[in-house]
Amino acid sequence: MFVAVTVILIVMLLGSVGALFAFSWAATHQQFENLEAAAESIFDADEPIGKPTDNFITDSHES
Amino acid sequence: MNPEKDQQHDPEAIEKSRQQRLEIDLAARWPVGIFIGSSIFWLLLGSALAIAASIKLHDPAFLAENPWLTFGRVRPAHLNIVAYGWLSTAGIGIGLWILSRLCRAPIRDNRSLTLAAALWNMGNAVGTWGILRGDSTAVEWLEYPTYAAPFLLVSFAFVMLESVGLIRRRPPGHIYISQWYIMAAFFWFPSLYFTAHGLLVLAPVQAPAQPPINWWFAHNALGLWFTPIGLGAAYYLIPKIIGRPIHSYYLSVIGFWSLAFFYAWNGMHHLIGGPFPAWLITASVVASIMMFIPVITVAINHHFTMVGHFKKTIYSPTLRFVVFGAMCYTLASFQGSTMAIRSLNGITHFTHYTIAHAHLGAYGFATMVFFGSIYYIMPRLLEREWPSRFLIRIHFWSCAIGFIAYFIFLSWGGILQGIEMNQKETPFLEIVALTMPYLKLRTVAGSLMTLGHLAFAVSFCWMIISHRASTGEPTLFSKRIPNPDPIS
Repeated sequence: MFVAVTVILIVMLLGSVGALFAFSWAATHQQFENLEAAAESIFDADEPIGKPTDNFITDSHES
Repeated sequence: MNPEKDQQHDPEAIEKSRQQRLEIDLAARWPVGIFIGSSIFWLLLGSALAIAASIKLHDPAFLAENPWLTFGRVRPAHLNIVAYGWLSTAGIGIGLWILSRLCRAPIRDNRSLTLAAALWNMGNAVGTWGILRGDSTAVEWLEYPTYAAPFLLVSFAFVMLESVGLIRRRPPGHIYISQWYIMAAFFWFPSLYFTAHGLLVLAPVQAPAQPPINWWFAHNALGLWFTPIGLGAAYYLIPKIIGRPIHSYYLSVIGFWSLAFFYAWNGMHHLIGGPFPAWLITASVVASIMMFIPVITVAINHHFTMVGHFKKTIYSPTLRFVVFGAMCYTLASFQGSTMAIRSLNGITHFTHYTIAHAHLGAYGFATMVFFGSIYYIMPRLLEREWPSRFLIRIHFWSCAIGFIAYFIFLSWGGILQGIEMNQKETPFLEIVALTMPYLKLRTVAGSLMTLGHLAFAVSFCWMIISHRASTGEPTLFSKRIPNPDPIS
């Protein structure tokens, strides 16, 4: 039982500290700022906003 | 990382980003392809076992002579195969590909990931064999025997190493919400699995402490493993396909962090009415109701991103599957929150209603989103299109109609079953007889879903073996491609 409680406590501590660390890292590394840019970060010059991508061959692979 | 709008017409920038994407997809071809391909094998096996288990519930003599195929083995084998063989294997492949795309970094260590895929599949094979030969641990969701766990552990360590490497190699700037979801899932799953396996199977804790650990694990496997991968995929694919950023990034951030901080409390609502401290169950009921927050943020986001673009689901297989899945996510989550309310739980607990709910989450949401993701990923990995729009149509309609029928029949039967089970004077066998028609209809609906899986598997194999050069035409549901709507 002692082993089990120790395991549970270690998992709880690691999980909580990990989550808090990730959250504070996000807060101090501009992850919660300029959110519009974050939403647009999945687009690039070849697949820009306004261009549907489910017709990839004609759009991106043919020269 | 941000799109440089002034470079959108710069041919050099366009060529550079195209080359970078091709390089990323090429590097992912083998490891991601193996994970996805093998997941389809497990999907078929899991479906066959599902049908066998379903038939046994209304025809107990079916396959009853062979001990390997008795209900007590076939049913957990189905659950574990679809959870670890299908959803997890496909989830790892999809998660790695999206991470690689979003980190703008090709997968580096192809060999270790290929080894990881082999080990993961061996773990599933050994685990399934263990369950069918009678070695099940009898812990729900963790039935794979202990000797299957090391394969899964070592395999996942390789996956985690590669995913951390991808995140470290990303260019500076924002980490997109899908990256948060997928990275978190890649850490949550191993810690959940191996904590639960250790405390319940390797060195079991005292009996009264086992059910809460069991349900902490089983509920989190859905909410902190399949859900974040599915949502990560939806948050990437919907905007990519329609070419429009998500409606509100702000809401997506709230959704992710509220899931991360509060979801793990949910599992104890499975123990309502059980011999367990009431305050812990109450805390879990409260957390379950709090899940309305992340769910509403996701629902608003997906809906408003899609507004004006729903017509594209007529054409794009990926979009249709993913949007279907995203809608089921909202439904499953709302339903799950209501099922944690004590008065409703008093009716639905221990009935087929719960099974229907589990399938709404694991099938309607996760599986359908994964199907959609695979339709998007594979052509990019192989630089080859899907061979037949007819097979994709069969796949979608069989799965969608089959699943909706499955859900309605089983929920309806479950409610009747629950109401009757609360009547002390109703004999138990009468209740069994009452559920019979619904169980038979479930077999029919499940068979329809399996037909869809077969069409999917044929389509996948055909795509792999065909060396047909690309015709330059994407395989959409309809030949007519809609005009890309400029985003206002």
